[in-house]
Amino acid sequence: MTGVILAGVIGALFALGTFLLLRRDLIRVVWGLAIISQAANVYLLAMGGIAEGTAETVPVLEGHGHEIHVPMAVADPLVQALVLTAIVIGFGMTAFALVLSYRVYEEHGTLDVSKLGDRE
Amino acid sequence: MTPESSIVLAAVVLPFLVAGLTPLLYRALGERVGYAGAAVAALCFGLLATQYGTEGVVEVAWIPSLEIALQFYVDGWGLLFASLASGIGTLIFLYSPSYMHGETGLARFYTALLAFMGSIVGVALAANLIAIFVFWELTSLCSFVLIGHHTGDADSQYAARMAMFVTVGGGLFLLVGFLLLSIVAGDVLGPAAAFDLTAMLENTDAMESGLRERGYFLPVLGLLAIGAGTKSAQVPVHFWLPNAMAAPTPVSAFLHSATMVKVGVYFLGRVRPLLVGVEWLLLFATVGLATMTVCALLAVAATDIKELLAYSTASHLGLMVAGFGFTSIYGAETGVFHLLNHALFKAALFLIAGIVAHEAGSRKLSELGGLRRDLPITAAMTVVVALSMGGIPPFNGFYSKELLFEAALEASHYHDIGALGWIYPAVAVFGSIFTVLYSLRFLSLFFGERPDELGEVHRPAIPLVAAPAVLTVLAAVVSVDPELAVRAAVQSGVDATAVDPHEMHVGLPTEYSTPVGMSAVAIVGGLVAYPFYDRLHAGIRAVPRGLPPSSPSWWYGSLVDVLPRAGAGLAARVHNGLLRTYATWTLAATAAFALAGFAATGMISATGLGIEIPIAVALVLVVAVAAGLAVALSETHVAGVLTLSILGFMVAIFYILASAPDLALTQLVVETLVLLIFLLVIEEIPEFDESLGRTARDAVLSVAVGATVFVTVLVATDSRPGATTDVARYYATRAVPEGGGTNIVNVTLVDFRGFDTLGELAVVALAAISILTLIVMRSGHGADPGTESGTEATDGGDDE
Repeated sequence: MTGVILAGVIGALFALGTFLLLRRDLIRVVWGLAIISQAANVYLLAMGGIAEGTAETVPVLEGHGHEIHVPMAVADPLVQALVLTAIVIGFGMTAFALVLSYRVYEEHGTLDVSKLGDRE
Repeated sequence: MTPESSIVLAAVVLPFLVAGLTPLLYRALGERVGYAGAAVAALCFGLLATQYGTEGVVEVAWIPSLEIALQFYVDGWGLLFASLASGIGTLIFLYSPSYMHGETGLARFYTALLAFMGSIVGVALAANLIAIFVFWELTSLCSFVLIGHHTGDADSQYAARMAMFVTVGGGLFLLVGFLLLSIVAGDVLGPAAAFDLTAMLENTDAMESGLRERGYFLPVLGLLAIGAGTKSAQVPVHFWLPNAMAAPTPVSAFLHSATMVKVGVYFLGRVRPLLVGVEWLLLFATVGLATMTVCALLAVAATDIKELLAYSTASHLGLMVAGFGFTSIYGAETGVFHLLNHALFKAALFLIAGIVAHEAGSRKLSELGGLRRDLPITAAMTVVVALSMGGIPPFNGFYSKELLFEAALEASHYHDIGALGWIYPAVAVFGSIFTVLYSLRFLSLFFGERPDELGEVHRPAIPLVAAPAVLTVLAAVVSVDPELAVRAAVQSGVDATAVDPHEMHVGLPTEYSTPVGMSAVAIVGGLVAYPFYDRLHAGIRAVPRGLPPSSPSWWYGSLVDVLPRAGAGLAARVHNGLLRTYATWTLAATAAFALAGFAATGMISATGLGIEIPIAVALVLVVAVAAGLAVALSETHVAGVLTLSILGFMVAIFYILASAPDLALTQLVVETLVLLIFLLVIEEIPEFDESLGRTARDAVLSVAVGATVFVTVLVATDSRPGATTDVARYYATRAVPEGGGTNIVNVTLVDFRGFDTLGELAVVALAAISILTLIVMRSGHGADPGTESGTEATDGGDDE
């Protein structure tokens, strides 16, 4: 049943992100983007399956040389690599969106998206 | 004999090649570039002539790695059409420099004309359905450029758009028909033959049963009919052809009488053995005869000589379509023979109309008359070709019209079609009466009284007369010895288009038969009605004026009016420059489509969830949602930023619990940086009092999106296998031997997927440069030191 909680949490984060995305305040729109990208990362990682964390599941192998043992229970390293990329890109996007908002405020003196648009 | 691939390819490619060079040639040769075009067309004609009598497939490797080859199929029917295009093209290029003397945009004109000729040769010889479609649409595009030659003239622009809209639109229907055909061919004949028209024509029985089994027969027939009907100006989309007469006369003679509009007819002949049957008969005989009659009536209503010829062209195209529509051997003979005859006499008539307009300075039927004294040679030519158009013996048009009457009479012997068995012949005769009428009216330009207001008429230049003269002589030769034309060209065309071909014979009738009687009725009817021409003319003109919806161009006009207004209205709603509008439509549509997709595939059935998470993880995530809620409800920017940070750190803890230490480290660094940048920026900007005006609507959309994601997570994560995937296993076992590192995630990022990470770094670097640009480069203002240090932090973050 805990799967339903996961689905509910991701759904709730998307709903909150969407709600913020529809605000008139540009800063809140950026928050919405940030929340949605966090939720998407959580979902992506969940796709690889989440097990109780133990020393076996962490995708860092023990020892050096040729005698390397790969435990069967190791967590999916592929989704982790994907999410790691996604976190960094999401950071770039958030930072850019934020500075873009700041520049919009400098140029137009407002952060109200309903006053921006093409009918200035 | 098999055709020579290099020659066939040269004949198709040469016109395009020279078309590309035409702007350069125009600089060197000026207006004489037309004669260079004539040389190319003649060369093409010569190349095609060397292939006379050959039959077979020619293949040129196109994309060898995908086994896609450009196939050409050479046979009598394709060669006849391609040679008509290049042969008449030669004459048009000879005629054009004199006619177009002093006009602007000649480089464009000749480029389009040459490209058009290449497209026609291509469409005539192509055997691959995709190639046929491409060449087909290229002819429409060239036609668009040529109709709109007078770019400053609104009428010309309107006509060009109309022709484009109708013919290119029809071509899209054709494409869908081709795709259906290729689906069936891929199943029945094997994947290699999916787009191979030749293979389909060799296995007509298998293809027909395959089409009927899948229920595609009628859709394919209908779609190909729309494609061919729009191209060949059949009722009810015949209206674009008279408007296309805004083009210069050489274009009208070439594209809109001899070649482009015949592409549809040509193609019907090509697929006739594949689809012929009672449905074929009912569709094409009806459409063809309706076009023949309606357009003959409209030609009588015309006031302008080119308009008369345009409607007459549509009417004769109807005759050819009807001919191919009749399933008997006479039907194929009508279609092929009339295609040749019509190309000869109608191109000549257009060129003659061009001479009249050029020398007498008017195209109005009411202002012209008695021109035989001024233009004696032209008048003599007109006698031959106009009487041929009217189907009067012993001129060549008569023979093919006799074949149509014969085919119409025979139709009831082949299929049980009830009353249509006598309606078809009756309509054919009725339409022919008007054909005789307008042919006589055109001839009357040269006879009778010369109107006083007609000014001085110049003698036409030699090339202007030479081009129609060649066509007239050819028409006369066919008139005198039709068997010669049959032996030389028509028979092989009939062989390709008929189901069970046999030897064809034509000639002047020596004894009475029903078709002879029908011709006699049509000719006598036309002669008797001729004195009442003006009354008929006025009567037919009154109909669309009294009842606008009776004319298809009224429907076209309404549609063209409504579409832009509807488009503008829609754009104003959907594309209004407001972010929330875009977000609303995009998110709502995505959610609706995703849910509809799940519902349609019956995925929504929560039977056992494949994913289970530990309780600790669930708790951390619930705290993250609480933080998210606090962000949404925060009244100040600072509160929002801080709660957003709580959310981020909760996600970092989630990563730790999910056995992803690298993600947790990255997330912690990123969250710290985001918090700093946010704090730096919000310090500079004022608080915003978010009014709660539209909260309800937004909440509904948010819940919808959230619910969609909820369902998606449940159904899409359901089928997750218990153990790690093969890919994951691959990276895990190869990390040390091939990457030399024990941290699988790091090895994956920097080694196995190193280029992806490079791309990621490029994105972050781009974002950093953009941020720097946005902050520093503001016309004249200096950068804010506070935010700049934030940007440096951004750059630092890239090294992760």
